[in-house]
Amino acid sequence: MDFVPGGELSRRIREGDVSAESELIRQFEPGLRVLLRRRTGGDHGLLHDLVQETLLVVIQRLRGAGIDDPGKLAAFAAQTARNLAIASLRKAERQKTDIDTDATDRNPDPAGAVDGRAADLEAALAVRALLRELPQARDRLMLKRFYLDDHDKEMICQELNLSEAAFNQALSRARRRFRQILEERGFSKRDLLSDR
Amino acid sequence: MNQAQIEQYVSGRLSGAEAEEFEAYCVANPEFAKQVEFEQRLRAGIAEVAKGSTAEFVRANAEPRWKLAAAASVVLAIGAISWAAWHQSNKLGRAVMAAVTTEAQRNGTSLRLAQVRGAESVPALGSTVVRVEIVGLFDSGALYNITLDRLDEQRVRTLTTLYGQHPSTPVTLEFMLDAEDLPAGSYSLRVRKQSSDEEPLDFGLVKP
Repeated sequence: MDFVPGGELSRRIREGDVSAESELIRQFEPGLRVLLRRRTGGDHGLLHDLVQETLLVVIQRLRGAGIDDPGKLAAFAAQTARNLAIASLRKAERQKTDIDTDATDRNPDPAGAVDGRAADLEAALAVRALLRELPQARDRLMLKRFYLDDHDKEMICQELNLSEAAFNQALSRARRRFRQILEERGFSKRDLLSDR
Repeated sequence: MNQAQIEQYVSGRLSGAEAEEFEAYCVANPEFAKQVEFEQRLRAGIAEVAKGSTAEFVRANAEPRWKLAAAASVVLAIGAISWAAWHQSNKLGRAVMAAVTTEAQRNGTSLRLAQVRGAESVPALGSTVVRVEIVGLFDSGALYNITLDRLDEQRVRTLTTLYGQHPSTPVTLEFMLDAEDLPAGSYSLRVRKQSSDEEPLDFGLVKP
């Protein structure tokens, strides 16, 4: 278990300990990415911005007033991220209906959108490599049924005449290989192992 | 938290409260969160791949044994269909060539073919099984393929090929030819050394 000692981190940050801030960022970022990935629809640029914004809000809060229950620091950070994601979504909705001339004039950098697309393509490339490596048609079909068609395990096992143990084993193998492929290609380092 | 919960979260099957609890746990546990993110990316990657087509997920096994079996089946099917079509349209009947395997064949009726400059006649095939003896210079260590073609006015049609024949001697290559069902007409026998650029030997035949 890697539970962050929220109380201690909060205290150290409040006392101006910069290394505690770095520690908080290192420990919270992966989880914030998970949470925000789900809410940013594959937009890697927005995901990155919201993670940074969340961390900034949390650190500023800890530097100042602090939080009521420092033991729930992770829950506080998660809720902050959710709130920021909702705010971002509302903003995007407004921009869809009203032409924001200021925003247009600012000529936003399209790198975020491009990066978001690239993130999906990286995963897609790794999936393609994985599919090429899977010798059994059954295993490929199993991935499709599970991840794309959202069939439950029982149904898939029945259809493909698999025991649950065989299903879990094949799925676990595919996951492990997917992770290896991403890591071998260096795809994961920027996204998953960032160490700020 | 376990893998089942990761799957439920990533597929959106957790309730709101459960998802919030799960997310707080993720934020507090970076290693666990990385595991979840791989699952998210795997799902996203599969969705991306499937955007164009799901063919990559449902293609047949890539195992060579299956490929060979499939390829062999296709070749056999094509061969059978071609042969049937040819047989129907041309009514050429059997045109069987085989290796010489018995003393009876070796001592039976034979037809000797040799390339002779200025020959005035073309050897004639009878209506029986005959041992064809081709005279020439052969490489004893090599294998030869013998092809029987029918020569029509318009085109040359290959009827059959006998593969991988050893010369009987350095100057003789023998095989059995059953010409019983061959219709009257002109034929050609080509003898080609395997894996070689050498010009084939070519012999004209006629069946009266």
